[in-house]
Amino acid sequence: MDVNQYLEIFLDETKEHLQNLNTQILELESDPEGEDTVNEIFRAAHSLKGMAGTMGYKRMQNLTHDMENVFSEVRNGNIKVQPKLIDVLFQCLDALEEYTENIQNNADEGTNDNEALIKQLNNILNEENAGGSAPKKEAAAAAPASAEPVGGDKWNDITLDESQISVIKEAQSQGKKVYGLNVVVQENCILKAARAFLVFKAVEEMAEIIVSMPSAQDVEDEKFDRDFTLILLSDAEIGRIITAAESVSEIEKAFGAPILLEENESYRKIEASEKAEAEEKEKEKELPAEASATAEAHAAPAAAPVQTAPAKQDTKKVSKPVVNRTVRVDIEKLDSLMNLVSELIIAKNSLVSVSSQEQTNTNSAFNEQIEYLEQVTTNLHESVMKVRMVPIESVVNKFPRMIRDLSKKLDKKLELYMTGEETELDRTVVDEIGDPLMHLLRNSADHGIESAELRAERGKPSVGSIFLDAYQDGNNVVIEVRDDGNGIDTDAVRDKAIERGSITPEQAANMTEKEIVNLLFLPSFSTAKKVTDVSGRGVGLDVVRSKIESLSGEVEVKTKLGEGSTWTIRLPLTLAIIQALMVVVGEEKYAISLGSIQTLEDILPTDVKLVQNKEVIHLRGQVIPLIRLNEVLDVESKKAADENLIVVIVKKGDKMAGLVIDELIGQQEIVIKSLGKYIKQCKFISGATILGDGEIALILDANALI
Amino acid sequence: MEVSKSTVQELLVEEGKAAAEAPIQFIVIRLGEEQYGIDIRNIDNIVKMQSITRIPKMPDFLKGVINMRGEVIPVISIRRKMDLEDDVITKLTRIIVVKLEQEGNVGFLVDEVKEVVALSADEIEKITYNAKEEKSSLINAVGKHNEELISLFDLNTISLEEN
Repeated sequence: MDVNQYLEIFLDETKEHLQNLNTQILELESDPEGEDTVNEIFRAAHSLKGMAGTMGYKRMQNLTHDMENVFSEVRNGNIKVQPKLIDVLFQCLDALEEYTENIQNNADEGTNDNEALIKQLNNILNEENAGGSAPKKEAAAAAPASAEPVGGDKWNDITLDESQISVIKEAQSQGKKVYGLNVVVQENCILKAARAFLVFKAVEEMAEIIVSMPSAQDVEDEKFDRDFTLILLSDAEIGRIITAAESVSEIEKAFGAPILLEENESYRKIEASEKAEAEEKEKEKELPAEASATAEAHAAPAAAPVQTAPAKQDTKKVSKPVVNRTVRVDIEKLDSLMNLVSELIIAKNSLVSVSSQEQTNTNSAFNEQIEYLEQVTTNLHESVMKVRMVPIESVVNKFPRMIRDLSKKLDKKLELYMTGEETELDRTVVDEIGDPLMHLLRNSADHGIESAELRAERGKPSVGSIFLDAYQDGNNVVIEVRDDGNGIDTDAVRDKAIERGSITPEQAANMTEKEIVNLLFLPSFSTAKKVTDVSGRGVGLDVVRSKIESLSGEVEVKTKLGEGSTWTIRLPLTLAIIQALMVVVGEEKYAISLGSIQTLEDILPTDVKLVQNKEVIHLRGQVIPLIRLNEVLDVESKKAADENLIVVIVKKGDKMAGLVIDELIGQQEIVIKSLGKYIKQCKFISGATILGDGEIALILDANALI
Repeated sequence: MEVSKSTVQELLVEEGKAAAEAPIQFIVIRLGEEQYGIDIRNIDNIVKMQSITRIPKMPDFLKGVINMRGEVIPVISIRRKMDLEDDVITKLTRIIVVKLEQEGNVGFLVDEVKEVVALSADEIEKITYNAKEEKSSLINAVGKHNEELISLFDLNTISLEEN
């Protein structure tokens, strides 16, 4: 049977489970007694095992199986959580990740058996298990067995026709066993049909399905509530079948037992009329033996799931978020949808400009409709943008684990504090931002945080803190990586730069501290005295900067020697459509992103002062340099020298500048079009946009002008 | 030596025959007094002169950008690229949009679009160009048509970098 169609679901879920395990094990490390955490871990490991098994990835299944064994002992209180155990578990997760990656790349798990890991796991088990855990286990097994069957014998309600009964009878007479199996899907399961399919598949490996209620077709079409019932013919023990069914993830429970035909109502009716006594007697002889055998087999596997059930419900209330109905969409489809929305906005803009040209005789109904259209397109655009937005959580989730590993590797005590994981960014940006952030965090851990002795000497807490804060700021999303470490030693940077020949000693003498810090972003620049495994190959920061700039973002660093440094990444919220202010310079129209604009000012020519031969204005106590756009853009200004200046005050971080323009047109929603790769020379033009009348206006990048 | 020479000639004749069956179409344009041909297979579109948005700080052969069906396309003056005097915009001025291998769609300003001609291979003569001369580097062959000579552009070699 073809499982390939489920490969994607498998991969997605495996990654989810692995991430979950990573997080939970981290939590377990800090709180070894947390019962909820252990339960959550157990459940994730169990699902992983089941999924790997169904998909036929035996190595993965073996490893998860042994992990699950360890977790189950931890849960039963037979194993204490120790740092060593956590380390082994993390190594297991890495191995599982490797499997997953292999599967993703080659649809094959690879050949690494990870025997060493499995051995370690078993050692842990054996060490701790030597004590008296065995009787406990049995006791646990006995209890749930008596509580059976809870939602069980639904198979007795199935209406059998005569041919089915005769098949069953025949099979029984051949010594095959007939079982009823009732499978309950988890309440929040999204792909019930797929799960059911996997159950069918798992069951069919060792049994023949005679009857299904609802019918197999209905199950496939998801026409069932939460459970479905099968009647099976098999040589195998029912216990094995139940285990197989339950190993499919999101299956809450499977009940099974040998079928007694006389307990089936429809059979009874038919039988009453036929009275085939002889056969029944024969069956009665067989039954006791069979029943006792299956009861035993039944009890063992039933033990684990029943035990988890109460805990499951507990955590469900606390930690399980409400599952929304979702659809997975190819990102390319979203891109084309986005393009269409862009086209629509351009068309709308041209309608607006047509209507405003013929202002005199357009009727109000037309204007109303245009306004309505405007509203709809804006909302449409917002919705499409929102669809593309994902929380950065998916990227930053892996960092606590990374910092933990770094902490061990570097032998420094580190703690990562994260806020704003829910901050949303465009999908394409989120996919790209992981590596730069990782670089910065590693940088902080390796170069930033001092050694324990030095920290003690400086009177800092022994645990070094690294902060990752994300928040939205106007049209930007800001991500800050902060540490309370050593900060950047500008003298060391300067010496290094001179030594490398990046700057001359004369240049160095005139450089401000900030300029020196910025040298760090030059290619192949590393101040680490020795190259470590973590960082120090000098490929880091320039890659960080070019990556972020390719996302139209920017990165800044503030640092204080001995106190720590802050790396600030500023990214645009959206990439395709922005609100902009349209202005005129000379005869040309330009757009300036509203996000960077602070205010618009009307300035008297006499208020312009000269400081160091540069024009500045005084505005509410601040001195703001003026930039005459007509000079920058090489056009003649239409304005006479004695006319008032229209100044657009723009801001970048804490720097401001006043852009002098000729005329204001107004605010407009614009679609950013790339100028293409061949027009790069012009730093302060970030793109172009198509106006309502079909003309092109260039977009000024205020950040590049400041 | 004798043998190989004749073989080569035979091959050339054969090649010529094959090509003659499928002549290549060229769009004939005018720049000043001279006629030039552009391989029609490279041409995406021919549009009338429209307002070109200037981009600051660009080499002077790069006239700016235009909007073609929502796509922003750079426009290049062949005249400036060949160091002729600047374009004079008339009613006949056209922008020929060519799909280049490297750069994507690029528009070229021409004085006039005249006609389409089909040239068979024996009517096209490859020229060895002098790499030092910008003008000739754009032209890789000369076509003969009705006793007139048409210089054929090889636009894929055009560089959008500053000279």
